[in-house]
Amino acid sequence: MIQTQNLSFQYSPTLETLRFPDINLGRKENLLVLGKSGIGKTTLLHLMAGLLKPKSGAVTVEGIELQELSVRKRDRFTGQHIGMVFQKNYAIRSLNLLENLEARLYFSEVKVKKEQSHNLLEQLGLTAQKFKKVNQLSEGQLQRLTIALAVVHQPKVILADEPTSSLDDVNCELVMRLLLEQAAQQKANLIVITHDTRIKPLFQNIITL
Amino acid sequence: MNIWKISLSNIFHKPLYAFLSVLSLSISIGLLLSIQQLDTSIQNQFENSLGDVDMVLGAKGSPLQLVLASVLHMDNPTGNISLTEAEKITKNPLIKNAVPISYGDNYKGFRILGTNKEFADLYEAEFAEGEEVNQSMEVILGSTVAEETGLKIGDTFMSSHGLTENTVEVHKHPLTVVGVYKPTYKVIDKLIVTPLESIWDVHVHRKEHQDEEHTEKHHGDVQGAAHHEEEHEREITSMLVSFRNAMGTLTMPRRINKETSMQAALPRYELERLFNFTGIGVRAISWIAYIILAISCITIFISLFKMIQERAFDLALMRTYGASNFQLIRIVAYEGFLLVLIALVTGALLSQVGLHLAFSAFKHGYNQDILLKFPCVQMVKTVVLILIIVTIAIVLAILPILKMNVSKILSNAK
Repeated sequence: MIQTQNLSFQYSPTLETLRFPDINLGRKENLLVLGKSGIGKTTLLHLMAGLLKPKSGAVTVEGIELQELSVRKRDRFTGQHIGMVFQKNYAIRSLNLLENLEARLYFSEVKVKKEQSHNLLEQLGLTAQKFKKVNQLSEGQLQRLTIALAVVHQPKVILADEPTSSLDDVNCELVMRLLLEQAAQQKANLIVITHDTRIKPLFQNIITL
Repeated sequence: MNIWKISLSNIFHKPLYAFLSVLSLSISIGLLLSIQQLDTSIQNQFENSLGDVDMVLGAKGSPLQLVLASVLHMDNPTGNISLTEAEKITKNPLIKNAVPISYGDNYKGFRILGTNKEFADLYEAEFAEGEEVNQSMEVILGSTVAEETGLKIGDTFMSSHGLTENTVEVHKHPLTVVGVYKPTYKVIDKLIVTPLESIWDVHVHRKEHQDEEHTEKHHGDVQGAAHHEEEHEREITSMLVSFRNAMGTLTMPRRINKETSMQAALPRYELERLFNFTGIGVRAISWIAYIILAISCITIFISLFKMIQERAFDLALMRTYGASNFQLIRIVAYEGFLLVLIALVTGALLSQVGLHLAFSAFKHGYNQDILLKFPCVQMVKTVVLILIIVTIAIVLAILPILKMNVSKILSNAK
């Protein structure tokens, strides 16, 4: 569950204030946020993830208002309850796939059985690569790893920033299918922010910025 | 998964980087530690070699030369003095004991020292084998001499005249080895010890052929010669004196220098003067080592700083995972300190290996085994200093983590 109210943000006093529509997602509800480049999509995502402090308004995840928590508690809380898929595929470069998942769980202090991590890698077709370092992966494998990293700790909210914009149609569909599948399995809200209109049909809730 | 594992995999992720940082740091650490150990060992060696000798009584000349020749056995003696004259002075109640020594010959470059049985006590030398000399022309070898020449008990050899190796002026009187001392790491190791009589006997014979030699030193013992006709020619190089208390050190040298034709030199004072000269070299090398240390600290700082910048995204990612700043700092700090620790260990090993090589070279050059002295307090100080400097470098490199803007790093990702 995630709600936003009257969210606004300003990068610096000289710049225009960005205002965002309210979002209110119940359990298992998904949302697509569409908008052109530069309109503040990533900003909205970072506000929802607690990475940015809003100028006004509030973000409530699982009934907890993020800005009411101390920095440390907020990091821990969002680490545990939010999973993020970044615009660029990213993981810790010095670690292998399995270690990346372990590090993810270690930092968010979530305990998950070993088989679950292995299952997840299998579902994403990464079992053969699990001892490979990140730089040995192909683009597509890396993309799937980021999805694994966003869901391995069983978050309540999955935030995806342009997960499909650099993919061809086949991979676009694959990635979206995986994201929706994982969100459904974890009973989490999936919020995708993109300018990629190809995935529009997959969502009932759509907001255009 | 834990912080250590991440730090370790970071190090192994870029092995060349890690290796170069460790290399430059260990060289500077090794240099610093070896210089200090070398300095301490050599000073210790000199002080050790002084044994119980508080004052040297010898012929007039340079006091430093007298000390170097008579105590460290490194330089030529200033000349000879009369034994009778010297004994007159050393009958003073302030003097605990006085050991006469007499030079003249060498065997393969090792000095043959005529003295009495008390000489060995000055250096606490014990017998490895054999026994005390009983008569003239018997010798006891220091451990280095025995090792280098291969002479054994019962062997005889011919000494050659002078203090440096030569084959021209060989004496015709064989000396017999009756004992070998255990290693003491003091000057006695490189000496061949024999009774004073051996030196006199050898040179009395020489005098029959070359009467003009040594005569210039005779004026001092005219009175003594009147009483002891047979001791007429008894000269020694110097007398090693130890006092009962500090009173002697304060009063006797001045009196001797003023009232007699001999001079009294204080080894500790002379060597301190010497160290003031040689210390400049040690200080210069120390400064070079500190400069290298500074450079390697800068290297560590730069490599950590660069690493943090390169991994900014990794670190920001960990923050979104819920990692605290403190955890991120630990990752980077562990990595830095682990490299420093490896550098410390390899640096210390380097210094030990280097010193052993240097000392074995020294042993060949000077026929003197030096005991490697470990200057604990100074070493600990140096290590603490290194750690402080490195800590500052690491802390400076880590600072940007605290100011990290996670959102900005993530949106600017390449």
